[in-house]
Amino acid sequence: MSNKFLETRNVTKTFGKIKALDDVNFNLYKGKIHGLLGENGAGKSSLMNVLSGIYQPEKGSIYLDGQKQKILSPDIASQLGIGMVHQEFRLVESFSIKDNLTLSKSNIYKDNFLKSFKKYSEIFALNVNENEIISDLSVGEKQKIEIMKLIFNDSNIMLLDEPTAVLTPQETSQLKNSLVTLAQEDMKTIVLITHKLKEIKEFTEIVSVMKNGKMVAKDLPTKDVTDNQLIELMMGTVKTSTVDKDNKIGQIKLNVENINFIDEVSNIKKLEEINFQVKSGEILGLAGVSGNGQVELANIISGIEKIFEGKIIINNKDVSNKGVRSRKKLNLSYIPENRLGVGLAPGVSVIDNSIVRDYFHTKLGPHLSKNKTSNFLESLIKQFSIKAPNPKAEISTLSGGNMQKLLMGRELVGDPDVIIASQPTRGLDVNAVDAIHNLLIDQRNKGSAIFLISEDLDELFKLSHRLLVIFEGKIVKSFNTTDANINDVGLAMAGASE
Amino acid sequence: MNKYTLSKRQVVNELSTFYSFLAGFLIALIIGSVILLIQDKSPIDTFSLMFKLSIGSVNSLSSSLNKATPLILAGLGIAIINTVKLWNIGAEGQIFMGAIGVNLIYINFQLTSSTSFIFLLLVSAFVGGAVCILIPAIAKVLFGVNEIITTLLTNYIVIGLTIYLVNGPWKDPGSLNFPAAAYVGKEVYLPTIFGKLSYGFLICILFTAFAHYLKNSSVFGYEMRIAGGSEMTAIYAGINAKQKAFLAMLIGGGFAGLAGGIELLSQTHRVSTGISQGFGYTAIIVAAITGMRPIGIFLVGSLFGALSIGGSVIQTIGVSTYIADIIQASTLFGALVIQFFFNYQLKRADDG
Repeated sequence: MSNKFLETRNVTKTFGKIKALDDVNFNLYKGKIHGLLGENGAGKSSLMNVLSGIYQPEKGSIYLDGQKQKILSPDIASQLGIGMVHQEFRLVESFSIKDNLTLSKSNIYKDNFLKSFKKYSEIFALNVNENEIISDLSVGEKQKIEIMKLIFNDSNIMLLDEPTAVLTPQETSQLKNSLVTLAQEDMKTIVLITHKLKEIKEFTEIVSVMKNGKMVAKDLPTKDVTDNQLIELMMGTVKTSTVDKDNKIGQIKLNVENINFIDEVSNIKKLEEINFQVKSGEILGLAGVSGNGQVELANIISGIEKIFEGKIIINNKDVSNKGVRSRKKLNLSYIPENRLGVGLAPGVSVIDNSIVRDYFHTKLGPHLSKNKTSNFLESLIKQFSIKAPNPKAEISTLSGGNMQKLLMGRELVGDPDVIIASQPTRGLDVNAVDAIHNLLIDQRNKGSAIFLISEDLDELFKLSHRLLVIFEGKIVKSFNTTDANINDVGLAMAGASE
Repeated sequence: MNKYTLSKRQVVNELSTFYSFLAGFLIALIIGSVILLIQDKSPIDTFSLMFKLSIGSVNSLSSSLNKATPLILAGLGIAIINTVKLWNIGAEGQIFMGAIGVNLIYINFQLTSSTSFIFLLLVSAFVGGAVCILIPAIAKVLFGVNEIITTLLTNYIVIGLTIYLVNGPWKDPGSLNFPAAAYVGKEVYLPTIFGKLSYGFLICILFTAFAHYLKNSSVFGYEMRIAGGSEMTAIYAGINAKQKAFLAMLIGGGFAGLAGGIELLSQTHRVSTGISQGFGYTAIIVAAITGMRPIGIFLVGSLFGALSIGGSVIQTIGVSTYIADIIQASTLFGALVIQFFFNYQLKRADDG
């Protein structure tokens, strides 16, 4: 590996007390496809944002073609030929393809637009007219336009943030071919950010791995590293604290049978043949990188998503055709991943948010008893030690931990038979995490059947009896946490086949 | 480099809306005074005359409260709809539609008991207002069409409809070519107390209490608040967010329709383009100033009613009636600015 095309030296970026990037060295080589691997929150996106001028690092420097550069804004990045495709597309939806591609002032194909558009349409296997409006395109087509936009803006370094997350398997292999062509023929330097080992293997020549804001391995030739090595680098050593798991396990409380689900908007199969049972007193973990179907599964079990194939059985009652409320009456609780926005309503008071699950129990005809609701909140605050001094204050004035305790408390207070807890500790500090874990264990000991959806392997190993791994909407593996190897779980999460 | 950033206050004083209103009103009086001084009129003389002629006697107070009635009712309707975080800009049209509803029933039915006939007419006023907002409500819940635009546009349609009716099918031959429908009979006039004060104002008190209860203490109000806060939370909680939005819009439209019906039965006694003097628009100001609180709307609506009466009489000393409009609008502007500083604080932030 000869000349470094782009190099970062000792780049550090902090947000408050958190080091998002810690002394990061990273190299890119001209005409190669690079992989950047790491868990959520490892610092991949922060690094890309530094390269594309969105963040300014506190320390460190960036060299492009041997020249030191200060990338103070996305504009400067684009002048230097660095472009990024974000996970959320940045296209003008109401404009045509042509207008989007020629929008930027750094555009280089204004004069012979049609010829270049034809050329790259061929490379991307894109069969649409340049006058089509963006909002009429499919997700896959939009993404092709996003990548094409970088080419039209003369970007030589193309940063792609999880480009395959929105694509079907066929589209993914198509994308691979296009990227290889771009690297070989146009000498484009490409960075692919992903959690999927399979894509690292198939797409890239060089791979770097990040963990906790640090670059733990760089410039590895992809063909020489094994999946196991990559997983070990990516996961590091997981501290496997554990709790007593010899509690009494009882009857089946939740039975999920043959769930298939196709997303209506993208027409992508999000869930395939999902089968499992959770028993009273048991915690079943679902491990997986976000976006592999977890939200859809939780929504189907809780009754929010109504159109699916298969059966949901709670307490021996088939509730597949029933709504949210009748499942709640069977004593199901759902702690959604999206705390503020789904679990709690922003702009609404603490007290209103505290009775979302039980308000129909506290009403007297059309009247909502003020006494009953404020007593309810008071008991929640006491029982779950929530800091919420003013019941009438807007919910978002509480800290993240207190919001989550209010949400958990509200859902757990009736000793539910079945609990679906989705990413219950994400973004919380250590003390809050412990408090939430203890709540779940207490509830388990009281006989609840708990389905715990998480990305945090430490949490899953600590709490659950059994573990399922979901990847691209399928349960790819199941483990007994007492004798499972954490790297095997990591490999399954990253989609590595045996 | 130091920057200032705005951050939301953790705790907002519960009376902040009231203080903001007072401050806004004070600002408005100052602005009004400056304009009067420019015209060489004495602010003190003008304001004291306005005061005297709007609330100085039982009669003038009655006129003020009669004037306030449609403002309050339409304002309450706007506040109910805002519980689901939607804006009703169409109260003006709903007022007209309420009056049209009354006249439609009046000319087609006849009840012997005038009490039950008046009751029927008031119900048809409410239904008229609800019908007026029906299309915006359907467009909102089925297709997500912005209700601000659609409710605004229905105003023009309904006022056009009114012009057609009073120039065409409902035109009163006895009106000497003035475009208006025939007067309704005296038997359906709303009765009065203390001489001039219409029963309409008593209905208005009743509906203020009802709106206050609906918004703050009913299960329906709770479900509307959650649906307004986050549609996803509503779905999660098993609340039909779209249904709540739809019902809130119909009820809110009905309130404004009732305002039109009362105005017809107590003041104008016939359908004409003069049924509303911009009540539906002023009601938006009233509702916004009070932070959509029914009791606040009742109080501020009453004050604005008095201002209108006061404004209309100061013409006698050569001051334009528009001074009242200026005070109303500046109160809103001032109150919103002050309220902003109750909700947010300016913080000096270090670079970064």
